[in-house]
Amino acid sequence: MLAYQLRMAWKSLRRTPVVSALMIGAIALGIGVCTTSLTVFHLMSRNPIEARNDVLYAVTLDNWDPNNAWDDKHPDLPPFELTYRDATALLESPIPDRHVAMYKSGFVVEAPNDRSIKPYSVIARMTTHDFFAMFAAPFQYGSGWSAGADDSAQLNVVLSKATNDKLFGGADSVGRTLRLDGREYLVAGVLKEWTPTPRFYDLNNGALTDLEDVFVPLSIGAQLELGSRGNINCWRQETLNSYKDFLGSDCVWIQFWAELRTPEKVAAFQSFIDNYVREQKKLGRFERPLNNHLRKPDEWLRVNRVVDDDNRVLVGLSFMFLMVCLLNMIGLLLAKFLGAASLAGLRRALGASRKMVFRDHIVEVGLVGFIGGVFGLGLSALGLTGVRQLYGGNFDQLTHLDLPMVAVALGVAVFAGVIAGLYPAWRVCRVQPAVHLKTQ
Amino acid sequence: MELRPIISAMLRNKTGAVLVALQIAIALAVVTNSVFIIEQRSEKINRPTGIDSGNLILISSYGFGANYDQRETVRRDLTMLRALPGVKAASVTNGVPISNSGSASGYRKSPSDPMPGVNGNYYDVDEQGIDAFGAKLIAGRTFQESEVQYDASVSSSFAPSVILTRDMAKALYDSENALGKPVYDSLGQAAIVVGIIDNMLGAWIGDKNPTNVIFQPRIDPGPMARYILRTEPGLALGMVDSIRTKLEELNANRAITLVRPHSVIAKNTYQPDRRMIIFLASLVGLMTAVTALGIVGLASFQVRVRTKQIGTRRAIGARRIDILRHFLLENLVLTFAGLALGTVLAFAFGQWLSSAYSLPRLSPWYVLVGIALLVLLGQLAVLAPARRATLIPPAIATRTV
Repeated sequence: MLAYQLRMAWKSLRRTPVVSALMIGAIALGIGVCTTSLTVFHLMSRNPIEARNDVLYAVTLDNWDPNNAWDDKHPDLPPFELTYRDATALLESPIPDRHVAMYKSGFVVEAPNDRSIKPYSVIARMTTHDFFAMFAAPFQYGSGWSAGADDSAQLNVVLSKATNDKLFGGADSVGRTLRLDGREYLVAGVLKEWTPTPRFYDLNNGALTDLEDVFVPLSIGAQLELGSRGNINCWRQETLNSYKDFLGSDCVWIQFWAELRTPEKVAAFQSFIDNYVREQKKLGRFERPLNNHLRKPDEWLRVNRVVDDDNRVLVGLSFMFLMVCLLNMIGLLLAKFLGAASLAGLRRALGASRKMVFRDHIVEVGLVGFIGGVFGLGLSALGLTGVRQLYGGNFDQLTHLDLPMVAVALGVAVFAGVIAGLYPAWRVCRVQPAVHLKTQ
Repeated sequence: MELRPIISAMLRNKTGAVLVALQIAIALAVVTNSVFIIEQRSEKINRPTGIDSGNLILISSYGFGANYDQRETVRRDLTMLRALPGVKAASVTNGVPISNSGSASGYRKSPSDPMPGVNGNYYDVDEQGIDAFGAKLIAGRTFQESEVQYDASVSSSFAPSVILTRDMAKALYDSENALGKPVYDSLGQAAIVVGIIDNMLGAWIGDKNPTNVIFQPRIDPGPMARYILRTEPGLALGMVDSIRTKLEELNANRAITLVRPHSVIAKNTYQPDRRMIIFLASLVGLMTAVTALGIVGLASFQVRVRTKQIGTRRAIGARRIDILRHFLLENLVLTFAGLALGTVLAFAFGQWLSSAYSLPRLSPWYVLVGIALLVLLGQLAVLAPARRATLIPPAIATRTV
């Protein structure tokens, strides 16, 4: 039955090629624009650590200026990062199943036995050993370093796939060494291709930039007095005349995450950090009201406003555009259906019920919606090519239509087509058969 | 010509008229707000930088190994860079404007003023710094070689002198002349204002006060060394590769991590704004096209269903111009109905944008211009179907009755 209806609908569309093309064009444009903007929005707002969303927590403490909130526009927010002294104090807590303290830094790497590669600069993440397991970083060779390597600041390094490809030609380099800033580091592991986008674990230092090139124990940073290449924010008037002064200062620059597998642990760690801050208050620090948070990745992405306002505005505008396209289509459908009302009248006179006439017209608009959706997907593929040009970098692999988006787009197209067709179809099935038979 | 018959004709096909009016209303809201945002963004991108952006090159070097000597490296690099043909000036720097990355601190007029004071984007440069950026000195002098501080360790000591932009001087000293007066850093250490430069943009393009910039005569202790270089007009792009090679030859104990024309850096920094402009402009174009097609579609339909009536009117004496006028006027009525609703929508949407995303309020001028353009668009779109209507022969009225 449906096959027959579809064939009839197709014939009907062929009868008015210009109007049909306009309708399909309208819906295709609307769908194309909306799926393009939604794909970008979806990419920005996705949670790359969905699978571990329930056990990971970004830790923040409010050590900021008693007279000025960290963020004027959102005075309830504490700084997104911690001081070095607080981060190392929290690392001592036995409550979390795992925890990580880290910052962004950099080295110059000298390629082993390869004179053709000049010393070059790499971005490094100075971090603690739990990083890889907590954030589900996949290993190609070897593994992360041990807890002992953290404690004794052993010169260990984990390489990204890109770095290993460049320095070791992609071979298993575990156990080999490379020189960072003139010192020999032992390769403990090599990661597989890994592109967490946005880079949820450190959203304040380039949420959409590429993965770090090397990972090195945090304790080495303190020992070698390696500066941060990320944000450093200070508020207290304190004289800092050495790196040691800096480590003890109220400047925030360390990211801290905890893995807490049960609600009891979450509660326990929350009271641990609250108690820690109360203790610090006695020392004259943390003069603001208690404002310490454990935030899951999805909440963390939200409070950090990873999806920028421009994206939201564009999605809003795209849907208004889709609305105009649909209004357009309703107008065209009305014109088309009422133009062919005599045919409907004839069918009614020959015994077709209103329901049947209505249903046939709905099938026809559904078909228009579907064809429009297919063309719309083509247009959004084109649109996304443009988006990739405009964004570049990390977006290359990611701005593609995924299967759910294709399904959503086609679904929306058919649904929108049917909604747009309801009124015209209703109008045409109320046609009085007699009126249209008279003038034949 | 009377409006009454036109309106009563429209009322016979309310739905079509309402649909087109709604389209026009939404189109007005979207187009005016989009164009308003586009206008703001392009103003932002094209505002004066206050520096010689097109002829600047930023260089970044990172030293490593036990033999690395920052002071000596900087001295040798600068001697080489300044001697290059086509180079007007070169200086150390800790960053560049319009890069979204830099350093800022609070400055005060008096050590007893409350912190954080006036936030200023600071640049640590040497005696050629002002010239190397191409900033324009308007009072006082630039730095002297003897003032330039170098401290090999981390230190929060302040420089002896500073140079301020006009806006920074105004923020600190209001209408007083800041020249020769002290500026205090967050620790209450003083520096004397030795020069005032014309306004220039700082590092962050979204900053509320992007021109609050302050220069300090200081060289970073390393191991990162950054230089800003100003070339003769048009030479910057071509010098990038040779500069990199020459610097690499000069010292083996460091990597040259960046040699980049400032125009490229600035372009990258404004990329999100440029992206927004492109997206919005495409949307405005599509919106206009779809709305015009909607008008054409409805008018064609009206002409078709009214063929007989039009023939009748012609038969009883209406001229072709009367028929044309009928359709143009009908479109005008429809468009204005849509625009009335659209004006409300446009301001409501603008209000929502400005409150939700802290954008400036939509200026009524945009709506006025939008209205004029949509009226024109409507008339143009209806022209073709209306002319077809004028070609309907009067004889058609007699045919099928």
